[in-house]
Amino acid sequence: MSRLKLPGKKVSFTWNMFLVLLLVLEFVIFSSVNPKFLRPALLFNSINDFISICIMSLFVTLVMITGGIDIQVASIVGLTSITIGVAWQDFGLNIWAAVAVAVLLAALCGALSGFFIAYCGVQAMVVTLGGSFLYAGLALLISTLSSTESYQGISGFPDSFKWIAQYKVFGVIPFQIVLYLILAVLAWVLLHKSKYGRRIFLVGVNQQAAEYSGVNSRWVIMSTYILSAVSASIAGTILTAYLGTAKSDLGNGMTMNIITAVVLGGTLSTGGKGSILGTTLAAVIIGILRFGMPLCFKINTQYLDIPIGVLLIVVVVGRSLASNPAMVARLARLKQNRNVPKAVVK
Amino acid sequence: MSTEQASTSAGQLLSVQNIRKSFGLNAVLKGISLDVAPGEILALVGGNGAGKSTLMKIIMGIYTQDGGDIYIKGEHVVLNKPAQALAKGIYMVPQEPLLFPNMTVEENITIGFSQNKAELHRELVATMDEIGWHLNLTRRASSLSIAEQQLVEILRGLLRHAQILILDEPTSALTFDEVESLFKCVRDLQSKGIGIIYITHRLTEVFELATHVAIMRDGIIAVKGAVSGFTREDLVRGLLPPDMDACKDGGCPVPTAVDYTKAPVLELQNFGGYGFSGINLKIYPGEILGMAGVVGAGRTELATTIFGMDKVLGGKVLLNGRDITGLKTRAVIQAGLNYVPEDRHLNGLFKISDVACNTSSALLGDGSLGKFLLNRKKEQTLTQRYVDDFRTKITGQEQAVGSLSGGNQQKVVIARSLSTSPRVIILDEPTRGIDAAARGDVYRIIHQLRDQGVSILLISSDMEEIVELADRAVTVFQGRVNGEFKGADINQDRLMAAAFGVSEEKVASGS
Amino acid sequence: MSFLKKIAKARELSSFLFLVALFLIVGLINPAFLSGTSISACFNTSVVYTLIAVGMAFAIFIGEIDVSVGSNLGFVATVVGSLLRDGANWAFAFTVGILIGAIIGLINGWGVAIMKIPSLIFTLGTNGVLRGMMYIYAGGAWVENLPKSFKDFSSVTLIGGFTVYYCCAVLLVVGVHCLLTRTRRGRYFIAVGDNAGGATLVGIPATQTKVWAYVICGVLSAVAGIIFCSRIGFVTSTSGSGYEMKAVAACVLGGISLTGGVGSVIGAAIGAVIMASISYLLVFMGFSSNYDNAITGIILITIVVADALMQRRNAVRNCHDRLAARTAESAAVKGGAPQ
Repeated sequence: MSRLKLPGKKVSFTWNMFLVLLLVLEFVIFSSVNPKFLRPALLFNSINDFISICIMSLFVTLVMITGGIDIQVASIVGLTSITIGVAWQDFGLNIWAAVAVAVLLAALCGALSGFFIAYCGVQAMVVTLGGSFLYAGLALLISTLSSTESYQGISGFPDSFKWIAQYKVFGVIPFQIVLYLILAVLAWVLLHKSKYGRRIFLVGVNQQAAEYSGVNSRWVIMSTYILSAVSASIAGTILTAYLGTAKSDLGNGMTMNIITAVVLGGTLSTGGKGSILGTTLAAVIIGILRFGMPLCFKINTQYLDIPIGVLLIVVVVGRSLASNPAMVARLARLKQNRNVPKAVVK
Repeated sequence: MSTEQASTSAGQLLSVQNIRKSFGLNAVLKGISLDVAPGEILALVGGNGAGKSTLMKIIMGIYTQDGGDIYIKGEHVVLNKPAQALAKGIYMVPQEPLLFPNMTVEENITIGFSQNKAELHRELVATMDEIGWHLNLTRRASSLSIAEQQLVEILRGLLRHAQILILDEPTSALTFDEVESLFKCVRDLQSKGIGIIYITHRLTEVFELATHVAIMRDGIIAVKGAVSGFTREDLVRGLLPPDMDACKDGGCPVPTAVDYTKAPVLELQNFGGYGFSGINLKIYPGEILGMAGVVGAGRTELATTIFGMDKVLGGKVLLNGRDITGLKTRAVIQAGLNYVPEDRHLNGLFKISDVACNTSSALLGDGSLGKFLLNRKKEQTLTQRYVDDFRTKITGQEQAVGSLSGGNQQKVVIARSLSTSPRVIILDEPTRGIDAAARGDVYRIIHQLRDQGVSILLISSDMEEIVELADRAVTVFQGRVNGEFKGADINQDRLMAAAFGVSEEKVASGS
Repeated sequence: MSFLKKIAKARELSSFLFLVALFLIVGLINPAFLSGTSISACFNTSVVYTLIAVGMAFAIFIGEIDVSVGSNLGFVATVVGSLLRDGANWAFAFTVGILIGAIIGLINGWGVAIMKIPSLIFTLGTNGVLRGMMYIYAGGAWVENLPKSFKDFSSVTLIGGFTVYYCCAVLLVVGVHCLLTRTRRGRYFIAVGDNAGGATLVGIPATQTKVWAYVICGVLSAVAGIIFCSRIGFVTSTSGSGYEMKAVAACVLGGISLTGGVGSVIGAAIGAVIMASISYLLVFMGFSSNYDNAITGIILITIVVADALMQRRNAVRNCHDRLAARTAESAAVKGGAPQ
């Protein structure tokens, strides 16, 4: 009888344990192949290449828990970057004012897509697909406002801006990591500790029942898209500061990495279940993979889509198999069979 | 044994013998035997949860029975897929027609045939001529009325040379004229030797149309035979459980006297919406008002419209004298009314969430669980209080609600609605699909609530339940209140008759 | 009768009228456009889009999606291009390419129809794997120096300046359309997407049909890859990326509903021409091609939102009509003669 119970916490705990194991495994393999892998300077520096994925996956997790999906965040990275550049260079705004404008624009983009999804009932996938076109196109148009050719990118940002990507806390830990940790804690509090987070889960589990409980489910859904767009703009800001150039096509190709991180982190693609800790671990696993593979196995970064894609497929197929009723029944029978002899022995 | 059964079923088109089916621990069919002969219209009557649709799904091959046999023209058959049932000449017209809305009528009917299109068209036109209906074959299915959709479904069956046609509550969404034309078609089909199983809630239709009748109750056939051998009263009696006096032996709690001189807590004034109209009702403090009726009578639509889930078309809702007509759900809850939905799986439960999440979900709207952060301590205390009060069987507050039994799930949903301390609570079929012990617990909860002065609108298709619990009862038939009963006048015969529209009780004056 | 038929096809018709209007407006702004070659060029450039849009249409008909078509196209183009460059027989190379496409489709179909994984997530995974395999196969380099005869074949024109490829594509679209609307199995695709529950009730094998839809989608993407190779003359490591988005947009523009069960491959083909022409038309209208993506996005979102709102209104109205019928009936009963 007790086997029937499905304590949600315990399940996600074991999944997180699995993710930690996977991470440790990565460290063991990569460091044994190439000891350079463990150098803090190198390791920390590699963060810059995948911190955007980590940041966005945090808030795309919220979107996916409501049962939606967001494939437009990657295009908002480029939009933010070019907006900062153009607003600062060509409109003469203070760099921080430019960042504020960019974040606001991103929030508006998220709100627009979120509105269509939540209030007009269009599938999230299609709207964010259209959004990825629209916002990438918008970024391109904004880049034409600049006197600089778009392929060159806008550079020459003040040091105070580049500081975001250059400052090291205690001389070792890059500031972005601190920023990421703050965002992760924020997302964790929002999702797991606040009433808002509870509403997100309820909407994802059963939107109808949430409505019957008096939850304004449409607003909850829309707000998650705003949050994910804002997180994309933060990622875009950090990336721009790190590269020192603002380009409209930053963020290209990040979509699959983000979705993989969220799904690998234990979020159900049908909504209702997921955790920030899981997503954080999964995003770091993917990041380390992207860093370690080229370093240790001389694998071109272009090939990295294969392991990530395989990872995504293996996780979803594995989950599908595990939740298949026939499989569940077979597993239960296996367990029973294992228990029966024990009883006999006693 | 099986040869004996086969021989008894020799003259029949369809014969099912001793069909049994359980879902989990819940036995839905407990040995059903039925026969349909050519040219016979068998009316299958029964309340909700009697197992009619489960039986039909087994005959269609959508479900597989746990035990029992199906014979078609005396031949033993095994039906695992709808395709096999179709091949054997069985066709079901579901209650909600399952047409392809974006295809034309002709495409809808001819889909799945390998014959030449022109040939099919000829055959289709011939079939239509033969039974005398003329549908425009090039119209899109989405533009058809419900009656027309049902005709399309019937044509689908005929073109497949169906020998056995199952009509699942075909008149539930039809207008009066449409019902007439449907009856004409059914009689035509009957004269062609097709066997028809006609599922219905309406006893008038049984006498108008059917040659034979079978009444299902709690997974068994209570009564069956030729229609000529029955009166309406016989059928109503067949719908009632045999132990209807059991309540008196067990000792019903003495109802506390409701003070009808007080101002009503909830008042509906000429309230109308989609599926019901012109409803006038008053519910007094500490009163249990039973609302009886068959599914589709408009009771659930009435409740959800009061609750702010659907559009109000006219009239007013007053809660403690305050106008709450057309408010949003959240505002209605805060004004002091809550609702336990009829379909707890669809609208009540967060199945993969734990007990605490479910219990506290309606409290997220106000500040009682914290302003921004969620106060887990308070949530746990609250949940534990309801778990203890209701004797909900759980292994811990973190247990997923989906793994609880139906009765315990229902207790969680009721707890959710009570957590907001409502003055009025609407319970919509609160004991559907739960076992006897849990039913007793739910009744106890309802009595406790009444003692605390909460007013209850109890919507139920289970007349016994209304007799046992209600201080006053109304019946709803086709979107209107058609009867009101007080005290000793509330008995199953009267409620059943009014709910099925057999007799129209005088609405008590003054309401 | 013919009038009614036209109404039934209104979705494609309006897409077609949209295309004509687009051409006319551009022609008014810049009359040079209406000279024959520009218009035929619009159609000719759309051939790759047409094929993947028709493939995508199958996935969307059944109510799913396939975002791996772009990588499928790129991978097949890489393989076929390298084979031809190394002097392989044309027929052999094409067969290999189409087989690859079929296998990819089979894998996608297995994941979506049999393993019941959300199609977007599963095909996003295969998309990544294919993209990586493309790099490995080509060693990160461009596939160049294709046989001249193969490249030149893309500019062979038939009547009216249309290339052989486009004429073949048109024939293919018409053929597929006939199969879909006139054969028993062809109609299953639309039926499964239109009402899956109803489909199983009339005995349609839903799972099998879904797998077939993905296989067809894979094969058509592969054919698109081969033509891509011939038209462009070289394959880079990013060839085909983003095409999945264009294919979806083309389908939506062509009147195919993303909820499945509505539309035709002819619509998808018209949508593909619109998609392919946008950047071309922008040039004629004096805009830079920078507007390309933004306009595509706006058109895509506008159409899906309008479609969703209309469908929801219909659903709500139908539901309310049914409920209203019940109360109306009770009035009729009351008004009727006593029995």
